[in-house]
Amino acid sequence: MNPRLPFALIAISCLLIMLLAAGFAPEHLAEKVPELKWAGPAGLPPFGADDGGRALLDYAMQGARVVAVPSLIAGLVVAGFATLGGVLRAMGVGWLDRMLQAGGEVVGALPRMVVVLVVALVVPDEWRGLLPLAVTWALLSAPGAMDEAAAVAERLGGSRFVEALRAHGYSARRVYLYHIVALNLRPVVVRQAAEVMMQVVFLEIGLSYIAEEENQADFTHPANLKSWANLLKLGYASLVVDVPSGHALALGVALIGVVAVMSLALGRAVSAR
Amino acid sequence: MKQWWLRPAVRIGAALLLPVVVPAIITLLLWALPGDPVSIICPEELCTGGAALAEKWNLDRGPLHFYGSWLGGAIGGDFGATWRWQAGTPIAGLMAESTPTTLALLGFALVSVGLGTVVGASQRLPRRALAVAQVVGLVPGIVLALAGAAWIELTYGAASFVGPAAWARLLVGAGVIGLADGALSGAVSGTDGLFRAESRQRYVGIAILRGERVLSNTLPNVTPALAGQLRARTLHLLSGAVIVEAVVGIDGLGDLLLRGALHQDFGLVLASATAFAVFSSVLLLGQAAVEIATAVIVRRAPPGVLGGP
Amino acid sequence: MALNKSLLTAGALTLAVIGTGATLAYNEESLPTTMNPLFAASMVDYRSQELVFDRLWFHDAVTNELKSRVVAKHEIVDGGKGVKITLVPGIKWHNGKSLTSKDVCFTVDAMLDPKTASPVASAYREKLSGCETSGNNSAVIKFKKVFHNPREQLGFAILPQSAFSSTAITPELDFSARPTGTGPFKGSRGRRGVIFDAVANGHHAPKIAQLQLSEGGDPQIQVKTIVNNGVQGIIAVPPPYRPDLSASDDVALKSYDLRSWWFIAVNTSKGALADKRVRQALNVLIDRTELRQLSIGVKPGEQNSPCEFISGPFVQSSPYYNRAVDVTETADKAKAEALLKEAGLDNGAGTWAYEGQPINLKIGMLAPLNNEAPDLMSQVGNQLGAAGFQRQEFKISTDEWNRKAVTGQLEDYDLLIGKWSFGLDENVNDLFHSRKGITGRKNIFNYSDADVDKHLQAYDASRTDTAARDAYHALHETLAEELPYLFLWKLDTKSAWRTEVRGNIIAPYYYFTEIDAWKYAK
Repeated sequence: MNPRLPFALIAISCLLIMLLAAGFAPEHLAEKVPELKWAGPAGLPPFGADDGGRALLDYAMQGARVVAVPSLIAGLVVAGFATLGGVLRAMGVGWLDRMLQAGGEVVGALPRMVVVLVVALVVPDEWRGLLPLAVTWALLSAPGAMDEAAAVAERLGGSRFVEALRAHGYSARRVYLYHIVALNLRPVVVRQAAEVMMQVVFLEIGLSYIAEEENQADFTHPANLKSWANLLKLGYASLVVDVPSGHALALGVALIGVVAVMSLALGRAVSAR
Repeated sequence: MKQWWLRPAVRIGAALLLPVVVPAIITLLLWALPGDPVSIICPEELCTGGAALAEKWNLDRGPLHFYGSWLGGAIGGDFGATWRWQAGTPIAGLMAESTPTTLALLGFALVSVGLGTVVGASQRLPRRALAVAQVVGLVPGIVLALAGAAWIELTYGAASFVGPAAWARLLVGAGVIGLADGALSGAVSGTDGLFRAESRQRYVGIAILRGERVLSNTLPNVTPALAGQLRARTLHLLSGAVIVEAVVGIDGLGDLLLRGALHQDFGLVLASATAFAVFSSVLLLGQAAVEIATAVIVRRAPPGVLGGP
Repeated sequence: MALNKSLLTAGALTLAVIGTGATLAYNEESLPTTMNPLFAASMVDYRSQELVFDRLWFHDAVTNELKSRVVAKHEIVDGGKGVKITLVPGIKWHNGKSLTSKDVCFTVDAMLDPKTASPVASAYREKLSGCETSGNNSAVIKFKKVFHNPREQLGFAILPQSAFSSTAITPELDFSARPTGTGPFKGSRGRRGVIFDAVANGHHAPKIAQLQLSEGGDPQIQVKTIVNNGVQGIIAVPPPYRPDLSASDDVALKSYDLRSWWFIAVNTSKGALADKRVRQALNVLIDRTELRQLSIGVKPGEQNSPCEFISGPFVQSSPYYNRAVDVTETADKAKAEALLKEAGLDNGAGTWAYEGQPINLKIGMLAPLNNEAPDLMSQVGNQLGAAGFQRQEFKISTDEWNRKAVTGQLEDYDLLIGKWSFGLDENVNDLFHSRKGITGRKNIFNYSDADVDKHLQAYDASRTDTAARDAYHALHETLAEELPYLFLWKLDTKSAWRTEVRGNIIAPYYYFTEIDAWKYAK
C-alpha cells in the first residue's frame, strides 16, 4: 500500500466532516431552554449544551460554516501564488523574479493583523464574513510561500533544469506542469496551502474573540452564527472558575484538532517520495 | 544564481525602504476605513468644529498630505499624541514603554522556536517526539491565553498589571506564541524536513563515504533557507503577538497596534506599524547577512563541492 | 519652580487632611477614552471626570436638590437671560492656582468657540451666548433664551484657563490624559487604568487616599476577584452574575440610577414598516416576558425584578411617564396577524410578504448591550422568525452606532436595538423631533410626525413643571400609538462594593458626585 494513502484518507475525511457540518449548519441557534443549562453530552447528545441550554452541536456546525469555505479558498490562493513563484524561478526571468522578491519583502513585512483588521472594518455589512479576511491573509502569506517554492525550483537547477528536460524532448507544458509543479513543487505548495488553511481558522478564532471582547461588530460572520471561538470562550472558564463548561472546551479543542490533523495529514499525503 | 549578491542586495534595499513604505501603505488602508476619527469624535449632525479639527490633524487634504506631515514629524521623533484610544497621551512615550516589552516577549518565545530549530536540525528527534510536538501545537493559543490571563487576574487582583504579575503575563504570552498554534511543531518539523531533504543529496552520500559528518556538509547549503524560515517564523510570532498581547494584557506594540486600529487612532497605528516594519527590516538585514556570509564561505570551498565555483 | 512649590504645598495639605486613607480599586466597563469633559463620549468618561472636576451645578444624590460646591451665591439677571454667580473663595486647582471667574468664562468661551470640536460643547452652543467676568469672583453667564430652570442648564465642568493656550480645545491635548481640575481627586491616565489621588481643597475633603480604576474583563473573573478582595468594587454587574454576589457576605450590591431604557427603533420609512399597523403588529409579536427571561434571566412573576417594562420613552419612576398607557408584556399573535392582514401583508407560504416579496428584516444591535442582556438580538430574531418574518442579524460597534445610527444614517436597517441613558434631565426631543438642522439630531431613523413634533415643541416652550409633564404625557401616548420605537424595558444597573467600603452613596448618572463621604478601611 502506498504509505501516503492513509494520510490522504485522513485529510479527505477531515475536510468532508468540515464541509458536511458547514452544509447542514442551522441558520439560527435554537431557542434557549433554561432547564438544559450546561447539560453534558449525556443530557443533550452528542456534545451537551451551553449556558442557555442550546445544543453545542449547533455551535460546532455554525463554526464550521464560518471557516470551511474561506479557509479552503485561502489555501488555494496561497497554492496558486507558491506555484507561480516556483515556476517563475524555473523560467529564469531574472528581472521579474527580483521584482517579485522585492514586492514580496514589502508585503511580507506589513503587520498582518492590522491589514486584516482594516479590511474587516472596511467590509460593508452585506459582505461581512471570513472570506475577504482569509483572502487578505492568504495574499499576505503568499510571498513566504513563493519564496520557499522558488528555493525548491532553484535547488533543481532553475532554468538549467528546464533546458535539460527540454533537451530530452519533453514539451514545455509537460516540463512545467508535471516535472516541476506536480513532482517537485507539490510538497511545498500543498504544505503551505494547508498551513494557511489552519492559520485562517486560528485567525477566525482570534478575531471573533477580539470582536466580542472589544464590543465590535463580528468581523468574520453575521451575528446569527456562532464561531468556534464562542465554544472556547464558554469552555475556558471551566479551567479557572467553577463553571461546568469543560465539555464546551473539549469540543472546541477537538474541532481545532480536526483542522490541524487535516493540515498535517495533507502535508504528509503529498510529501516527496 | 550566478550573481549571488543580487538576492541579498534586494533584501537590503527592501529593508531600507520598509520603514517608509509600510506606513505609506497603512495610511492608504486607513483612508479606506468608513468614517474618520474626526467624524467619530464630532459627527457633523451633532457637532460643529470638525473641519477645524480635521485641519489640525492633517486629515483635510488627503492621504498624501497626512502621510507627508506624519513622516516629517516622525523623522524628528515627534509621533504626536493619541487622538482616541488614550486621548492626549504622547505616542513616543507609549512606544518607548512598549518596544522593550514586545522584544522581551519575542525573545522568550524564540527560545522555544530556537530549541525546536536546533532539535530539528540535529535529525535525532524520534518520530514520536515530533508527533508530541505537533500535539502540543494543536492546543489553541486563545485558550491558553485566556486561561493564563484569568489566572493572573484572580491571583493578583488589582495589581495584575504591575511587578510580578506583569512578568507572569509576559511569560504566559511568550509560552502561548512560542508553543501553541503550531509554532514549536512548525519549527521542529520545518527544520527537520529541510535537513532531511538536503541530506538525501548525492554530495552528502559521497561526503559520508569520505568519512565526513552530515551536518558540516548540509549546513552551509541549508543556512540561507534556514535563515528564511527563521525570519518567516519570527514574523509569524510578531503577528501572533498582536492577539496574544491583547488577550493576555501585555503592554506591547501589538496591543498598541490593535487598539489603534480599533479606535481609528491613525498616529498610533502608523507609529506601531513602523516599529513592526523596523523589526522586519532588521530581520531582512540579518537574512541578507547570512546569505552573504554563506556565499563567501561557499565560494571559498573547492570547485565542485558545496556548490563552489 | 512656582508650579513645583504649589504641588508640594498641595501634597502636604493632602497628607495632612486625608491622613489614613487606603487605595480603593474598582473595575469599570472600559477605560475612559479621555479625561477632558468636553470630549466625554461614554458613561465611563462621565464617571471618571466627576472625580476630577467640579460641575457648576449638580443634583444632590439623595434629595435631588440643585446644588453647587463652587458657587456661593447666584441671581437671575437680564430678564432671565443670564445668571450672575459669585464663586466660593479659596478653591484651588490641582496645580495650586486659585479658581477664578476667568476660569468659568474661559470654559464658556471654549464651548462657544466654533473650533472646539465637541458634541458636549455644541449642545451648550444652543443655549449659551457668552460670559462676562466682573472681578475675580463674579461672572455673568448669558443665555440665548429665557429658561424656566436656568441653573439646570449650567451643569458643565469648569476648566482651568491656565492649562490651555486658546479657547479652541482639541481632544489630543495633554490635558485629556493628565487633567487639572478642582474636584476631589487628581487623575492620571495610564496604559491599564487610571490612578486618582485625593486632593484636599476648601470644598472637598475626600477620605480615601487613592482610587484605582481598571478595566473589568470577563464578568465571571471579576465576580471571583471581588469576592477574593482582589478589587473592592465593580461599577456594573450584569444581571446573570448578581445572584453569586448577593450570596456573598463580603459584597453588597448597590443600585445605580442611570434612567436608561431599552428600545427597538423601527425604520418607519422602509417598506411595510411605513404602515403603522405593521409596527403595531410587531409590537404585540414581541413577547417581552419571554425575552426578559431568556436574555436577562428574570423568571415570570419574579419579585424585585431588575427589569421593568415600559410603554413609552421614560422610566416608570419618571414624572413624565404616562401610566395611562399600558405596557405590552406578552405576545398576542392573533391580534398581530389581524393587523398584518389589515395592512395588506400576505402569509401564504408561512412567511409574511409585502407587495409579493417576502419580508426580510435587517436587525442590528449596539454590541455592548449583549453584555447586559446576552443574546437579546437572537431572541428577538427568533420571536420574529417564529411569527413568519425572515431576518438577518448584525452587531453594531459603539463607534458606528454614534457615527451612523444616532445620526440617522443606518437607513438600510429595519430594526435597531439600543438603549438611551439619562440623568435627571430626561429631555427626549432630540430622539423624536423631525430632523431639521440641529433639532432631532439623535433621531435614529429620521422619523417625522407632526403630532409628535407639536408635543415636543410644547415641552420646549413649557415654563412650569406641570406644563412640561403634560406635554410629555401626551408625547408618550402618541408614541405608544405610532411606534417609531418598540419600547422594551428599564434595566437596573447594579454595582458591587466590598462591605469594607462605607458611606458609598451612588449618585444618579455621574456616580461619584458624593465621593467625599466614601470611606474605606482594610
